[in-house]
Amino acid sequence: MEYRNVLTTCPYCGTGCALYLQVLDGSVVGTLPVKGHPISEGALCIKGWNAHGFIHHADRLTKPLIREQGQFREAGWDEAYNLIADRFSSFKSDFGPDSLAVLSSAKCTNEENYLLQKFTRAFLGTNNVDHCARL
Amino acid sequence: MNRLEALRNAVGELLDKVEGVIALRNKSGHVAPHLFREREELNGLGLSPKYPLPATLRLIQNEYPEAKLGIVCRGCEERGLIEMAKRNQVELGNVTVIGLACTADEAEECRCAKPYPSVLVDAHVGERTEPVPDRVAEELRQKEVAERLSFWRSQFDKCIKCYACRNACPQCFCPECTLEEELWVERGRVPPPFPSFHLIRAMHTAGKCVGCRECELSCPAHIPMTALYALIRQEMGEMFGYEPGVDLEDQPPLVLPMEVEI
Amino acid sequence: MTNSVLDLEEADCILITGSNTTEQHPIIGTRILRAHEERGAKLIVADPRRIQMAIHADLWLRQRPGSDVAWLNGMMNIIINESLADEEFIANRTEGFEEVKEAVARYTPDVVERISGIPQEELRQAALMYGQAERAAIVYAMGITQHTSGVDHVKACANLAMITGNLGRAGTGVNPLRGQNNVQGACDMGALVNVYPGYQVVTNPEFTQKFEEAWGVTGCSDKVGLTVTEMIDAAERGEVKAMYIMGENPVLSDPDSNHVIEALQALDLLVVQDIFLTETAELADVVLPGCSYAEKDGTFTGTDRRVQLVRQAVPPIGDSKADWVIICELAQRMGARGFDYASPAQIMEEIASLTPIYAGVSYQRLEEQGFLQWPCRTAEDVGTPYLHEGQFTRGLGKMHVVEYQDPAEMPDDEYPFMLTTGRNMFHFHTGSMTRRSAKLEQESPEGYVEVNPEDAAELGVSDGEQVKLLSRRGEIQAKAWVTDRVPRGLVFAPFHYAEAAANVLTNPALDPQAKIPEYKVCAVRLEAA
Ligand code: SF4
Ligand code: SF4
Ligand code: SF4
Repeated sequence: MEYRNVLTTCPYCGTGCALYLQVLDGSVVGTLPVKGHPISEGALCIKGWNAHGFIHHADRLTKPLIREQGQFREAGWDEAYNLIADRFSSFKSDFGPDSLAVLSSAKCTNEENYLLQKFTRAFLGTNNVDHCARL
Repeated sequence: MNRLEALRNAVGELLDKVEGVIALRNKSGHVAPHLFREREELNGLGLSPKYPLPATLRLIQNEYPEAKLGIVCRGCEERGLIEMAKRNQVELGNVTVIGLACTADEAEECRCAKPYPSVLVDAHVGERTEPVPDRVAEELRQKEVAERLSFWRSQFDKCIKCYACRNACPQCFCPECTLEEELWVERGRVPPPFPSFHLIRAMHTAGKCVGCRECELSCPAHIPMTALYALIRQEMGEMFGYEPGVDLEDQPPLVLPMEVEI
Repeated sequence: MTNSVLDLEEADCILITGSNTTEQHPIIGTRILRAHEERGAKLIVADPRRIQMAIHADLWLRQRPGSDVAWLNGMMNIIINESLADEEFIANRTEGFEEVKEAVARYTPDVVERISGIPQEELRQAALMYGQAERAAIVYAMGITQHTSGVDHVKACANLAMITGNLGRAGTGVNPLRGQNNVQGACDMGALVNVYPGYQVVTNPEFTQKFEEAWGVTGCSDKVGLTVTEMIDAAERGEVKAMYIMGENPVLSDPDSNHVIEALQALDLLVVQDIFLTETAELADVVLPGCSYAEKDGTFTGTDRRVQLVRQAVPPIGDSKADWVIICELAQRMGARGFDYASPAQIMEEIASLTPIYAGVSYQRLEEQGFLQWPCRTAEDVGTPYLHEGQFTRGLGKMHVVEYQDPAEMPDDEYPFMLTTGRNMFHFHTGSMTRRSAKLEQESPEGYVEVNPEDAAELGVSDGEQVKLLSRRGEIQAKAWVTDRVPRGLVFAPFHYAEAAANVLTNPALDPQAKIPEYKVCAVRLEAA
């Protein structure tokens, strides 16, 4: 029997509302607003109130998938990493770094965006890294 | 001994007798409901701002109906528990209540009719203070009907249909909520159609709204809806002599006043 | 945003344009409504649609989509003629005023009315209301930027703020509301084709050297990369062979979906990292399961440059992994060095060491203080609630002459309606999260198009019936919502719904500078389905 609230930041719009994820025995069971937060002041919109709604959804991807003869099959992480590593390396050497392109994400954290552009610039050697800032 | 220390002692003592105590936790200034299991956690015990703890009890009891639990209750939260128990939403048999009286300032802020618990309480913390009349409701009561209607119209036009008023309400627990039914409230519209969304909620909470103001505190548009509910509560008191949250034995009037008028 | 969400409350006048604030940024929207109601701040809303904000506004200007340069120039013209310009601010802090003054003089109220449809008297009232306010704030969103003249629209907003001295003080500013929770952060972190983290441009050898040294590599490219839309085109031409897409769904979010699908299919390798099998992931060769925000630590930066913590609540679902873990593991697998972090907090240390505007940001400070607004340059710096106080970043604020231009595709006989796209309250972006959230999906379970009652009557379509929308790029079918939210000749469709994907119709024409597609205007035809 464990119940706690984890303070976090809303995953939807850019307003920056804070919310609590209510965690009961390791599952997120609900959302609560954060009273006294400078931006959200104890309120949320309907999306914020439902920010827990998709976390445990049955559609969540739980294993890497690899396409084989047009169909996806589940794969282990090692296999997936090796495949990507091999192919990216050979494209880079055969066609040059600018034959690779990377889309980062306005839904991922700062740290993840930083790492993906670092990987693209420092390792792949291209500035072909963007995200949907304009969309 | 200040209020927080007194509360910490009371919760600590209770922890020896129950499996967990539902109270507020304060983490770096952010306060939220929490289930305290160990005395060591009590450094992080919090006092305010309040959150609807009865709803947390309901959530935990859903999973653990047999668990022996404690809960810290303010006046409004005790009133809420009483109404929830009457509707089988919480089972009070296994629950020990620590009562927390609100300060005069807190009571003022909430325009609270009874800022201390007294019915279910096993241990008391804090000094009782005086009730505070609901001036917002009184002012509205003085107005002409037409004026009131236009006031509510302009208020409800600010609504962004976040459902916070319902979500935050410990008395709103229907598995199928009328507010979500297309038949009554056209879905997907912002603001929601006037006046069905708001009047349905007002009617549904009649007889169980205990004036904890959680709805209003969570409303991003600052719609003073508890004033409306307070007026309904007064009417119901006059009509049926029923006051929600006062007495565990008192049965709520089963029919809505509207149906009686018809 | 130049200013904070909080100090909108200090504005005497708020001009909202191109932002359906209560639906897109609801908690900013209600804050503005409260400033209007509780403090009497004047509210001007310029929007072609009768959105909730318009109902509450003191003045609602219903401009034609894409005509923003015209009416903004027109407001400036009136403000200058009425001697409401802030001459001291203009003289001390800006340059280029004379040219702008000359240019806007041509935007007389009757010219503006002809272009934008805004009645002359309303324009005049708006100009006076904004111009006379002690503190006036402009709030805008994608309705301003998603045009082929988007950059001009933004410049016009900036000109208006500058000639009235409405910058660098609380309650003023030019305040774009960023759409996604971390779009600000992704830009700050250099997930853009031309800048390293902190907007340090890739074409400046000093910055390249700095990052190469810090990362222990050589050979970072000084060539500006391809933007999303350009990547798609390059993929179709076979120049881009492989793409790695983390947490984005261009099939639904980019203009001209059919074209996007063809381009992604032309790739030799498509890797998609996401939490659901999105429409884009369905086209991938390899799909990597990332984690949702609830399963990892990190930071998001909100629209007012506010850095806040994201905290892990539950362990990763199944074998999924946090996205930062995946990037590190893949990089290491490929032999890259410098990808062995113990935690996101450690990554932030590196970010802070390389990004001057984030230099003072650390997890410990965020934990204690709740948030920091950049620029935050040292561990003592309390952060910056509003930019441009006393001085602009570049010294003097430059005013740019901007002229009205028609959107790239205007209605004609064949495609007589203007289509504008956007979001609604209940869904988010391509819906991969919200459409899997039962309560949100219940509110708005299917695609729709807002059609004016008179147009609907002419088409013989009633509310709730299916209609076909056709553009030069494709067609979709959606339910008609017959409503006077839209004026005659304009229809609105949200882009959240894969089964009625508005971006099948939209025009990929780009703003030449910002490379933003013109989502807000394209020409369509309607037919009863
Ligand atoms: S709760 Fe609503 S307004 Fe607040 S950040 Fe989330 S989506 Fe935006
Ligand atoms: S509003 Fe009515 S139907 Fe909905 S939860 Fe409350 S009482 Fe039940
Ligand atoms: S909390 Fe306020 S804004 Fe939200 S649904 Fe209720 S009345 Fe409307």
